[in-house]
Amino acid sequence: MILTAAAIAAARMSGDITIDPFEPGRLSPNAYDWRLSEQIRVCGGTLDAAAVTRYDEQTIPGSGMILHPRMLYLGVTCERTCSARYAQLLNGCRDVGALGIWVHVSAPLGHTGHAIAWTLEIRVVRPVRVYPGMTFGKLVFLEVHGDRDSYQQPGAKYAATSGIGISRLHEELAPADPGG
Amino acid sequence: MILTGPEITAAVRDGRIRITPFTPAQVNPNSYNVRLGPLLLTYTCDIIDAFEPNPTRQVTVGDGGLVLQPGELYLGHTVEEVGSDLYVPLLFGRSSVGRLGLFVEITAPIGDIGFHGQWTLMLTPTRPLRVYAGMKIGQVMFFVSTGARDLYRGKYQGSAGPQPSRYWRDIRPDTVAS
Repeated sequence: MILTAAAIAAARMSGDITIDPFEPGRLSPNAYDWRLSEQIRVCGGTLDAAAVTRYDEQTIPGSGMILHPRMLYLGVTCERTCSARYAQLLNGCRDVGALGIWVHVSAPLGHTGHAIAWTLEIRVVRPVRVYPGMTFGKLVFLEVHGDRDSYQQPGAKYAATSGIGISRLHEELAPADPGG
Repeated sequence: MILTGPEITAAVRDGRIRITPFTPAQVNPNSYNVRLGPLLLTYTCDIIDAFEPNPTRQVTVGDGGLVLQPGELYLGHTVEEVGSDLYVPLLFGRSSVGRLGLFVEITAPIGDIGFHGQWTLMLTPTRPLRVYAGMKIGQVMFFVSTGARDLYRGKYQGSAGPQPSRYWRDIRPDTVAS
């Protein structure tokens, strides 16, 4: 079951949901409308699941920044969100989808216990200018079924990130070429 | 409602969910991590035809991995057979994989109650990306359903290895007439 705006607001008051910063006006009927932060990392070149990702860190100026097709951008939400009780699903909003922007690459789930600003995996269909602080998507909260486990267990890779996280998959894989 | 990790483990133990092979270390707070199998299919025709069976070529991901190229569609598969006669499964990528720009499914994350088999992955990278067989690539979550259940009996039941689209099998003759 998905929480309504009233349920999200109530859960926030009771401490079951943290959204920081929180603006009541950003609650929509069954979601919280989150914003794009100004930090962005541009990933070009060839990537390797077994290697550390190289990137170019930039700041989106107030005048905006043009994102280009075929590039991978790692961004971050303005908001840090946390819930030990509910699971979270982060997606784009209709306005952003209609601009041809993906806000994540097929990984929308925030596990219970996540305490994060969300790293965004941004990709665009056509060149498109984006602005810091713009409303970028919707975050929904889901009730869970069963005994709860927390993402705050030792070893969870992204349990409490606050900035942009690059993939740490390489930590799980032995490098194909130790020299590279 | 989405199942918690402990509930996924309990459901595997008592048969409400089938995951084969099952490794407790792959359970997350609300999902189960699935691994990339070694076989990939690519379509060899210039234009994929929704109404026709399309020729494919099979490649095997070797020990050194394989570089996936942007603009190409790779059909992969999970090592694990995953399914449930009770819960609705959803397959997504992992954030570690998303951050490498790799899409693991295309617009169809929701599975059917009653489907059992290896899941076909629809892999398409943003940048050239080297992947490895056996890497944990996606995650399956399970949702509680409401209402009477009619189990999946569709054309992908019992899938082993990557499955190309069989859309063509569902075309009604009157659709193709012209």
